[in-house]
Amino acid sequence: MKARILVVDDDEALAEMIGIVLRNDGFEPVFCADGAQALDVFRSSRPDLVLLDLMLPGMDGIEVCRQIRGESDVPIVMLTAKSDTSDVVRGLESGADDYVPKPFKPAELVARVRARLRPGDQKAPETLRIADITIDVAGHTVSRGSERISLTPLEFDLLVALARKPWQVFTRELLLEQVWGYRHAADTRLVNVHVQRLRSKIEQDPEAPEVVLTVRGVGYKAGV
Amino acid sequence: MAFRARIWQRRALIVALRVARLVRTGVVRFLPGLRYLGRALQQRWRRSLQFRTVLTTLMLAVTSFAVVGAYLSNQIANNLFQERLTQAESETRYNVKQVQDTFDGAQVTDQSSVITLVSDTLSAVEGRGSVIQRRYVFEAMPNQTKPRNRWVESRASDQLTVSVIPPDLRKAVQESGKDQYWASTVIPVGTEDRPGIAVGNKVTFNGTVYELYLIYDLNTAQQTLNEIQSVLWAGGAVLVLLIGAVAWYVTRNVVSPVSHAAMVSEKLAAGQLQERMVVKGEDEVARLGASFNHMAASLQEQITQLATLSQMQQRFVSDVSHELRTPLTTVRMAAEVLYEARDDFDPINKRSAELLYNQVERFQSLLSDLLEISRFDAGVAVLDAEPEDLLQVIAHVIEGAAPVAAEYGSEIIYKAPEDAVVVEMDARRIDRILRNLILNAVEHGEGKPVTVTVAANGTAVGVAVRDHGIGMDQAQAARVFDRFWRADPARARTTGGSGLGLSIAMEDTKLHHGWLQAWGRKGDGANFRLTLPLRQDGEITESPLQLEPKDATRPGAPGSIPAEQDYKNMLLLQTGARPAPARGPEETR
Repeated sequence: MKARILVVDDDEALAEMIGIVLRNDGFEPVFCADGAQALDVFRSSRPDLVLLDLMLPGMDGIEVCRQIRGESDVPIVMLTAKSDTSDVVRGLESGADDYVPKPFKPAELVARVRARLRPGDQKAPETLRIADITIDVAGHTVSRGSERISLTPLEFDLLVALARKPWQVFTRELLLEQVWGYRHAADTRLVNVHVQRLRSKIEQDPEAPEVVLTVRGVGYKAGV
Repeated sequence: MAFRARIWQRRALIVALRVARLVRTGVVRFLPGLRYLGRALQQRWRRSLQFRTVLTTLMLAVTSFAVVGAYLSNQIANNLFQERLTQAESETRYNVKQVQDTFDGAQVTDQSSVITLVSDTLSAVEGRGSVIQRRYVFEAMPNQTKPRNRWVESRASDQLTVSVIPPDLRKAVQESGKDQYWASTVIPVGTEDRPGIAVGNKVTFNGTVYELYLIYDLNTAQQTLNEIQSVLWAGGAVLVLLIGAVAWYVTRNVVSPVSHAAMVSEKLAAGQLQERMVVKGEDEVARLGASFNHMAASLQEQITQLATLSQMQQRFVSDVSHELRTPLTTVRMAAEVLYEARDDFDPINKRSAELLYNQVERFQSLLSDLLEISRFDAGVAVLDAEPEDLLQVIAHVIEGAAPVAAEYGSEIIYKAPEDAVVVEMDARRIDRILRNLILNAVEHGEGKPVTVTVAANGTAVGVAVRDHGIGMDQAQAARVFDRFWRADPARARTTGGSGLGLSIAMEDTKLHHGWLQAWGRKGDGANFRLTLPLRQDGEITESPLQLEPKDATRPGAPGSIPAEQDYKNMLLLQTGARPAPARGPEETR
């Protein structure tokens, strides 16, 4: 089955070009040119992934991102013209999983899309524990005691990557490769922002993390 | 005159002794405190115009009052004394005459009547003083033949003897004829000594010459003088205090607006642009305040304007960025789709597709470099520093540059310490700097090895990128960080790159408070050295690496350029937000 991808972009030429590339690679694109209608189109088309331009008429891309994230865990990849820290970080904080800075290459875009659509490799029944958190890998659930914790797929992958090797310290680059699927250097802010988001969900006190620990100057590791 | 002098002397002595004792005990007991006080006063003297003015005014006032007071009191004392003296002299003259007359008219019969006569006469003299308490000393002149019936040798008022008469006066009286002389003296009255005037003359009685001294008590005059003096002192002290207060008030009025202005301008300098002075009235101070406020207002306006301009610039850059990038993305994607399909095209279209693809790539890198530079110019570039291992970043950059190096036939030699070098840095920027330096070295290295050396000391880490290509001379090396600058304009476009790479590297380095320096010599390649502080709050004292590489051909060695010229070719380009020494210690070696 073809994966359906919602492209939210007001630039018709770019949207069409993205459509050509996606179709060429076996995806089924759906288009929306107006931020205000994006949520409706999202609800009606039920895409497997959203490509979202940050600058939109009608509604700010960041707001669209927040609203979609409010009702779905679907992967969101931002298209940004600005590579300024604040915009990227704001986008990531509003719930986007990844971003592709313009101007991007078709291969780059497809690689990002594929990485986020990666069907959770047939996961064997496996239960992981870090600190007081229990992770059911196959069931895609995370809980503290009897309390379920809701995570997006990306956050889940991040947590599982750390939990599988609790003895290892992960550099940001390694996490980018394992979780995001980057083979070359990418923006380590992706990792920082998502670790913050993950912590805000799973830590008792995000200021004093116990599940995802920072190893100063190196990266992150799972708490024991 | 002498009596006052002596009294003053004694008083001065007493006062001086007391002061000395006070100072001695005070100094011993309060020495540390006094030192502290002294320092505090010194500091206050230096730093407070008001304190200085008031103190100076007080000292001047005290000095002038002391001078005027001394003069006044001297004048008054003189007048008082002169008046008393004149009176004493005339009274003495009169009384001596009276005594002489009484003696001349007396019937000398027997001893007791003579004694009674003398006593009575002298008692009369004693009592007759109207204003001045008057007393006497009556003494037979020595060294005269003693007549048979000289029954009276000497007489004196209570408590007095002939010893109160100064010898000089006695001598003068004894040696003269019938002249009257005077001298100051001290006379005992009750238990105290009082100043007095002794006026002496001679009287003859019954064939014997006597010295008769009338002694006038100057106590009342002294008291008057004392009172006048104390009034003078009190008045002077009050006036000095008043003058001090006036000086304090006046200087406060003048100084307080000035210090207020200083405070306000400090706040302005600290960025509180809305700060203004309080303006009251229409005097000079108010004018100062008004013009100060005017200045502050126009400053604020200009700064706000600049800030708005900068914001507009920033917004413009951001807009341009977005507006250009979106169509560029479409073009780039389209170009790539065409490029991927080029094998299906005829040769003309194929070559066109290739050119389109390559030039779009170049256009894109040029655009992103331009935008990056404009971000630096707009001052919106921020350092996103975190402690990370520099060696990992370098290894990664070298790995990325390896394919390019292979293309040029260069080998990249990497020399680094074994342990991680954790630096507080923005890894994205450092990655960009190093990629630039290394690719630059590979491009200009003419296929010879490129050496990347890393070394760290306690405060800084240095990365040197050395190539052995054609090198550059001083003039070229001096401009190497200039925008769009190329060593050889004729060959300008053969190598890729936007011409902004090293300028961006320099800006990134400045953002890290680091140094980026270049060394070059014609025919001996170039060496670029990046020095970064380990911590952003730290400071680089010296780079752990030499700027001039150890393997550089030494001056005088075969094939090298003459020493003098060679020295000039050593480029010492220093940059960084923090001032670096014009030549670090390692360069002088």
